[in-house]
Amino acid sequence: MRIADLSVDALLERLSFSGLALDFGAARSRIRSSLRPLAGMLRTVYGGYPAEESTGFFDVNIELRPVPGIRRFIRPQCEVVCDGVRELEPFPLDTPLPLLEWGTNYGLATRLFCYLMLHAGVVERGGRAIVMPALPGSGKSTLTAALTLRGFRLLSDEFGVVRLEDSRLMRMLRPLALKNESIDVIRRFDASAVIGPSFPKTHKGTVAHLAPLAHHVDARHEVADPALVVFPRFDASAGVNLEPVKKARAFARLANNSFNYHALGPQSFDALGRLVEESSCWQLQYGDLEGAVAALGDLLERTPSSETLQGV
Amino acid sequence: MKVPSASPPQARQPLLATLANPGATAAYVESQWDLVIAPTRNARLLGVLAHRVFAHVGRSALPARVVRHLDSALAEARFRRQKTLYLLHTITPQLTGHAGPWILLKGAAYIAQNLPLSQGRLPTDVDLMVPRTSLDGVEQALIKAGWEFEKKEEYDQNYYRAWSHELPPMVAVGQAMELDLHHTILPPVGRIKPVTPRLFADAVPVEGTPFHVLCPQDQLLHAIVHLVHDSDFVGRLRDLLDIDALFRRLPLSDSAQRQQLIERSRLHGMQQPLHMAAVMSRDWFDTPGCDELLLDLAGSGASAFYGERVIALANRVLGPANASEGSEGSRHVAARLLEARSHWLRMPPWLLAYHTASKGVRSLMQRAASREGAAAG
Repeated sequence: MRIADLSVDALLERLSFSGLALDFGAARSRIRSSLRPLAGMLRTVYGGYPAEESTGFFDVNIELRPVPGIRRFIRPQCEVVCDGVRELEPFPLDTPLPLLEWGTNYGLATRLFCYLMLHAGVVERGGRAIVMPALPGSGKSTLTAALTLRGFRLLSDEFGVVRLEDSRLMRMLRPLALKNESIDVIRRFDASAVIGPSFPKTHKGTVAHLAPLAHHVDARHEVADPALVVFPRFDASAGVNLEPVKKARAFARLANNSFNYHALGPQSFDALGRLVEESSCWQLQYGDLEGAVAALGDLLERTPSSETLQGV
Repeated sequence: MKVPSASPPQARQPLLATLANPGATAAYVESQWDLVIAPTRNARLLGVLAHRVFAHVGRSALPARVVRHLDSALAEARFRRQKTLYLLHTITPQLTGHAGPWILLKGAAYIAQNLPLSQGRLPTDVDLMVPRTSLDGVEQALIKAGWEFEKKEEYDQNYYRAWSHELPPMVAVGQAMELDLHHTILPPVGRIKPVTPRLFADAVPVEGTPFHVLCPQDQLLHAIVHLVHDSDFVGRLRDLLDIDALFRRLPLSDSAQRQQLIERSRLHGMQQPLHMAAVMSRDWFDTPGCDELLLDLAGSGASAFYGERVIALANRVLGPANASEGSEGSRHVAARLLEARSHWLRMPPWLLAYHTASKGVRSLMQRAASREGAAAG
């Protein structure tokens, strides 16, 4: 049974009492809330996730609640509590989903020193992963979303979770956060895409969330082999332009764009080194989304897997 | 006369029980771990817990999901240890030529000495004490080498230099830890006046390093006054656990050690804090030797009534906060009272009045300035 199969009432009951369990793959969270609108939003963006029991141990516990006291009446707000600690500033009460997502991301990013956590979108096809570091102006989320709607399976939009002992990519499947123009771009890209409500006026502009596909969610415990590292750069005037990147440079850019590389010492050096060794590294400049997706698919086909790679 | 014990709040029991009996975790089911991991992390003790658990239980006997959190905490602790050693290594040239001994305090000391209590610990800064006569020279050498003060405001700088036992925290590019330079262990204008020359004279060198640490009794007494006299207790369970570990290290159960400790506390005028620390350590961690110490201390000028009132408040705020529990109101009140107490202890009344008043004036002036700026811009 999936979350989409539950009624909003049933979902609200779980949220209000025992909590709603969400398994992202590499970690799982338990969410508690009494906000009815949030139940409806979760049903949309997490619809493909299994409706699991919320007993046991969870990596992070999130509570999303109205700010108490006078704030209940004057410009009401909601706040996110992460394992009993208020980490982030409150949001207006009508914007609970983005706050929940950001609060969960924060919790995941700060707790898990057992993995190397890159800041990247990651997809795979045939068990071979494309890691796309999330630099400003990259359009990473839009590109990741588009890839997942064209036959690539999602690992994560935000976290490149690298297993320390063998550099395999693990899944941290979460709804993809689309911003501003991207929302319409993705709607046009695939009319059947399930996108949650739009929230205007967040500090990042308008935000909406693309629900991961059910069969992507089913694969959440599978790992993928590193194959491509691609640094995307969105440029409306460009067509599609792929250029190779030297491995040492790719290593440095990945390390500088991670959540915890600095804290894991030699372990993260070895894990990232192995990942880069096994990958072909590229810079992608693109203005044409459809063309970029096709180019990456093509590149993945042409790239031999690491057993046959003789070292670049 | 046995001092009555006050039990720590009920919600802390899973955390305390697991710390006290890590071997029992072999039989824990996931839902039991669910009550332990988050509060322990919030108390900044997850690394210490991980160290204790792995010393008693094989990894394969524990749920994989839990192991990754224990591993995460140990990875963080390793990182901080590494950063502490790196900082000490890089400032050694700046200390050279200035009269020592250069004495490491608290977490940095435990790491340098490689004490068992440093395993899994998560220090946030490096505390270094140098003789008053060397302080200015060391400060200048550090500034020349690229260190700078976080708090640049003149008032704060003057406050620290005139009234405090330490300079404002220093930071440097490439250093993950802050450096706190001390010339003694408590504010010179405070109510307790440790005999600073004896702190230095009896300091013990750390083999293989150019640094010293306080002698074992002074190290313990410093940990005690740092918590009991110089803090508001809020969220400081970790500091009490350090005290428990240092008591056990003496060991406190040995009567000769207790006598030495009591004499040393008399020298520095720290009997009252010692009394309070013994009560709290016993109540939270069952530290052996505390009851005997309290008997030995009886009639030592330690006021049981006052101590008990403070301990009752402290017990409410010592453990990690939990915004999802309902007890926030009483914790908040207790925290405000203890905060007032710590200010009171830190400065004589006239200075406290001046500091509070001027802080109010300065904050009003800042607000006025920013309103003007906003209006002009």
